[in-house]
Amino acid sequence: MNTMSRKEKLLYIFYVITHPFDGFYEIRHRNRGSLPVAMLMILLFGLSFSMNRRYASFVVNSINPMYVDSRQEVIGIFVAVLLFSAANWSITCLMGGEGRFRDILTVMGYSLLPMVLTFLPATLLSQFIASDEEGIYFLIVGISIVYSALLMLVGIMVVHNYSFGKTLITIVLTFAALIIIIFIIMLLSSLVQQVYYFLDSVYTELVLRA
Amino acid sequence: MKRKIISQAAKKAKPALTGPAMTGLTAVKLAAAILAAVMYTVFAGAAAFAGENVPYQTYNYDYWRDVYYTPAAYIPDVSYTGRDLGAGNLLNPQDVFVAEDNRVYIADTGNNRILRLKPDMTLDIIIDSFLNNDTADTFKMPSGIYVTGKNEIYIADTDNRRIVALSEDGALIKIISNPKSEVLEDDFDFRPAKVAVDYADRVYAIVKDKIQGIMCFDEAGNFTGFSGTINVSINTYEKFWRRFSTKAQRESSAQFIPTEFTGLDIAPDGFIYATNVDTDANQSIRRLNPKGEDVIKKDNSNVSQKGQLSGDFYYRQGTEYAGPSRIQDIVYRGDGIYSVIDTVRGRIFTYDHEGNLLYIFGGMGTQKGTFKLPAAIEAKDDKILVLDSLRAELMTFVATRYGDLINRAVALRYDGDEASAVALWEQVLELDANFELAYVGIGKSYLAAGENKKAMKYLKLGMDREYYSIAFKRYRDDILKKNLGYVLTAVSLAVIAVIVRKIVKRLKRRGDEYDE
Repeated sequence: MNTMSRKEKLLYIFYVITHPFDGFYEIRHRNRGSLPVAMLMILLFGLSFSMNRRYASFVVNSINPMYVDSRQEVIGIFVAVLLFSAANWSITCLMGGEGRFRDILTVMGYSLLPMVLTFLPATLLSQFIASDEEGIYFLIVGISIVYSALLMLVGIMVVHNYSFGKTLITIVLTFAALIIIIFIIMLLSSLVQQVYYFLDSVYTELVLRA
Repeated sequence: MKRKIISQAAKKAKPALTGPAMTGLTAVKLAAAILAAVMYTVFAGAAAFAGENVPYQTYNYDYWRDVYYTPAAYIPDVSYTGRDLGAGNLLNPQDVFVAEDNRVYIADTGNNRILRLKPDMTLDIIIDSFLNNDTADTFKMPSGIYVTGKNEIYIADTDNRRIVALSEDGALIKIISNPKSEVLEDDFDFRPAKVAVDYADRVYAIVKDKIQGIMCFDEAGNFTGFSGTINVSINTYEKFWRRFSTKAQRESSAQFIPTEFTGLDIAPDGFIYATNVDTDANQSIRRLNPKGEDVIKKDNSNVSQKGQLSGDFYYRQGTEYAGPSRIQDIVYRGDGIYSVIDTVRGRIFTYDHEGNLLYIFGGMGTQKGTFKLPAAIEAKDDKILVLDSLRAELMTFVATRYGDLINRAVALRYDGDEASAVALWEQVLELDANFELAYVGIGKSYLAAGENKKAMKYLKLGMDREYYSIAFKRYRDDILKKNLGYVLTAVSLAVIAVIVRKIVKRLKRRGDEYDE
């Protein structure tokens, strides 16, 4: 069914970001997307995002490099993408979306490519500009962010075979689902903690009584 | 260093101890002497690191608005109670003033008198009455005092509802009371709390419960208007809720009234420095021009891009030592430097003319050099004087080498002499390598000298985006100018090569056509 070589799989992302409608359609219906490549994109985005925060010149950067923890940020990006995908999947499942979870995840990963491509050059560029030229830097970064956001929008629209309006509604609902998921996770972790402390105190009691 | 001296002392002591003529008593004496020497070196060492035996911490905020601790800028010096001065205990004193001839005046509010100290801080005279139309008149809760360059004493005689001006020998010059104007209410209660006088004998007074601003009087004592009115600000959130609340709700909610001024001082150029309460911790310090407009400079070169002049940027919420700084009084110390005192945490904040924080020190407590309820701040030579109303003490703080270097460097920069300030800034950096203003100072002077690369390095360390960018642009232009010749040569050679190739090709083709 899918006979793409590894090289073809990697190069296919560039086809997707230049032809998003066809590209995402083929990911859904002709299995041309690759989950490992999407994961790689998320990892690369996490790294370039963190590098940008850490190494962009102080002329354009208002983040204290002392507080940048790259490992934490990469994990954070992964968690954010996975959570958003899960929330989107749980909403679209109920709203007649055609996309599978792996399609959503692939869309998210592939859409990050513009940011992966521009964040590092922008970081490099920031070392060679003065404060009144910061517009160039923010233009490059801003365009890539807007482009990525549009790609995500188109991707979700295409893999679920939605109209534009319905996509926007599902995205709003996705954020609501996201909040519910986070709430349930926190509730669960707090409950587990309580059970743990209960068992812990029972153990302490037994040990000290004996 | 310390350890070295101790071991030397021990070595020297050793042969003496083993000597034959050694008796038990001398051994004890010697041991005590060694102990004393050790103690002395230890404590002398501690004193060298000024700040270790100071009852408060000295700190500052960096570009990231993080607190960092610095060496002590000022350390406690002598404290004077009324008894020390030989005038009996002070009672709730509210104001202190250092005249141009360095004589110190204290408004001993609760005892209804004014104390004058000689420049060496010994009691000169006590003023508790004056002759008013040949009858003796006294003060009632005098809580503000100001002395002009001509040694005329202006006293805010609060509960007598007047400002009294006395000459140097205590004779009455004038009384300002019961001001009349169409902008004042008929039942207006004139209770001046603080007073200041400018070089043209115009009088400025902070009046209790008067929220329109500082009251101004001309040299004859006539009310001329308000200065520095603080506008009320209502944010969008409050506006939104007021829109939906009923009239009864609106009346019962808190009113939006401007904050009151707390203290004032006048610079030699006639600009008024005044402090006010700001619960939003944005601006508690104002510099008013003769028109009464606030013209103070704020320092925006920090990560939030927001200039705040209100003491601490961070504070905890709660009951004790919590909430925004409440700035009580201000002193203009010359060369653009001014210090303010905060009554919440007892801290003294010192700023330069651009609104940069220079050093923060002071604290609450019962130790020497800490406050219970600071009421007024003044400066005398290189000393800072703080009057504590609850402890009824006048405390003095003396500049350390660190504080003195900063003061002198800032003064030189204020005069525009950045080049001579560099040597001082370098010494400051030896004591405190985090002091960003010093890096900026050095960087700017390198920039002026045309050493752009060095300027870039220092301005980056000082986190000054604006001047770093200037230095960087000049550096970039230099490199481009130096290498432009090579670049242009290479480009023009490439262009010529392409053209030549085209011509050759065309000629060749023509040759081929001929051949056919």
